[in-house]
Amino acid sequence: MEIGCDSVRRARPLLGTLVEISIGEPVHADLENAIEAAFEVIARVHRLMSFHEGESDVSRLNRLARLGPIPIDPSTFRVLETALELHVHSNKRFDITVAPVLQLMRLLPGLSDPAALAGDAAGAIELLPGYHVRFRDPRILIDLGGLAKGFAVDRAVQVLQDHGIRRGLVNAGGDLAGFGPDPHTIHIRDPRDPRRLICRIDVRNEAVASSGRRFDPFHSASTSFAAIIDPSTNAPVRTVVGATVRAPSCMLADALTKVVMIQGESAGPLLARYHASALTVTADDVMRMTPDWQGAACLAP
Amino acid sequence: MTEWSRWATSTVALVSLAGPAYAVEYLTIAQAQKLAFPAATRFVEAETGRLWKAQAGDRAIGVFIFDRVIGKHLYIDYAVALDPNGRVHRVEILQYRESYGGEVKDQAWLSQFVGKTGGSPLEVGKDIRNISGATLSSHHVTQGVKRILAVYGNRLR
Repeated sequence: MEIGCDSVRRARPLLGTLVEISIGEPVHADLENAIEAAFEVIARVHRLMSFHEGESDVSRLNRLARLGPIPIDPSTFRVLETALELHVHSNKRFDITVAPVLQLMRLLPGLSDPAALAGDAAGAIELLPGYHVRFRDPRILIDLGGLAKGFAVDRAVQVLQDHGIRRGLVNAGGDLAGFGPDPHTIHIRDPRDPRRLICRIDVRNEAVASSGRRFDPFHSASTSFAAIIDPSTNAPVRTVVGATVRAPSCMLADALTKVVMIQGESAGPLLARYHASALTVTADDVMRMTPDWQGAACLAP
Repeated sequence: MTEWSRWATSTVALVSLAGPAYAVEYLTIAQAQKLAFPAATRFVEAETGRLWKAQAGDRAIGVFIFDRVIGKHLYIDYAVALDPNGRVHRVEILQYRESYGGEVKDQAWLSQFVGKTGGSPLEVGKDIRNISGATLSSHHVTQGVKRILAVYGNRLR
């Protein structure tokens, strides 16, 4: 932080969590500008893709896309494209239209129309030329919470690199991406007890994301149920209590943790397709790793 | 498909052992003041340790407020910079502290970790910097910023 120090770290409250940017370079004139621009792009992704902000692309689509094509920002469009592609390749396990279920569970605000639970929603989202989107089914609601945070991290990394930063790490409350020639050491929380760590890995030009039970240290150190919904049952997942995914991008890592939470070991082919690897902890206290899970020191039996 | 590797982990052992405690200092108050108001020539302390008026010469260019949210296991020091119209100009985390009161150097706890690929030994403590896992909520910081706006924002308007 001071002159002479060989790294800079900053943190801001964004995306509903603490977002930290660390740069493995000494302070120089343009560094603060680069960090400022990276935080700004994260805030912009939040404004565009938040379910909670009335004027976000997501809210506008949820209000208006059933009436006709709605123009949205190219970055929101790109996230939607990825979401729909993952929906197809995950046998519909990755689903951005579970918002009504989350509303029923009071994890998202608003009244839910029970009829909205019935449709095969992702098939009803039409991506049109010129970054326009239309919903064919008037009942659906989308929520990009399953991958927008990862996308924000990726964008921040890109902005830092565009500013000439060569080594750094962006960590949005545990969804993170590191870049540069040196490995970054990452510790993974125990999903059964967030006060503890179960694994340490080194990542290089790679992203890591975790899903698990919600953790609010202000109220209790104990964990509550997972906020991941299995679209085939419309219920929270219970077997896998925590999943961590390593992937080439944070958007993919973020999204794939949700599929792994739901599918467990049968998510293997999907992970391989996206050059991703995973670690899970299940309710029976078994830890599982894909064969390509690399460079880890993990809790022993 | 290649099999996933698996092993059982004991929660019984975990419960009796301590987790890590660590702190991160991002910025001092003085550093955060300069970052928030690069044009300021001085910061006049109007409330001790709490509120500073940023001035460029004789001109008021904003206020800088230090605050801390305290929870059961977590302390976050942060600062809010308001522009002269009482709008939020910047929110910056100054220090983050996770204090579970754990015995960081507990060898029994550390020895539970095995190097799957023979990496360097695990160093808990100040070494723990990047954590992936259950997400920390920034809810209390957001609440704090709202409180500060309610108290100070109106005075400036």
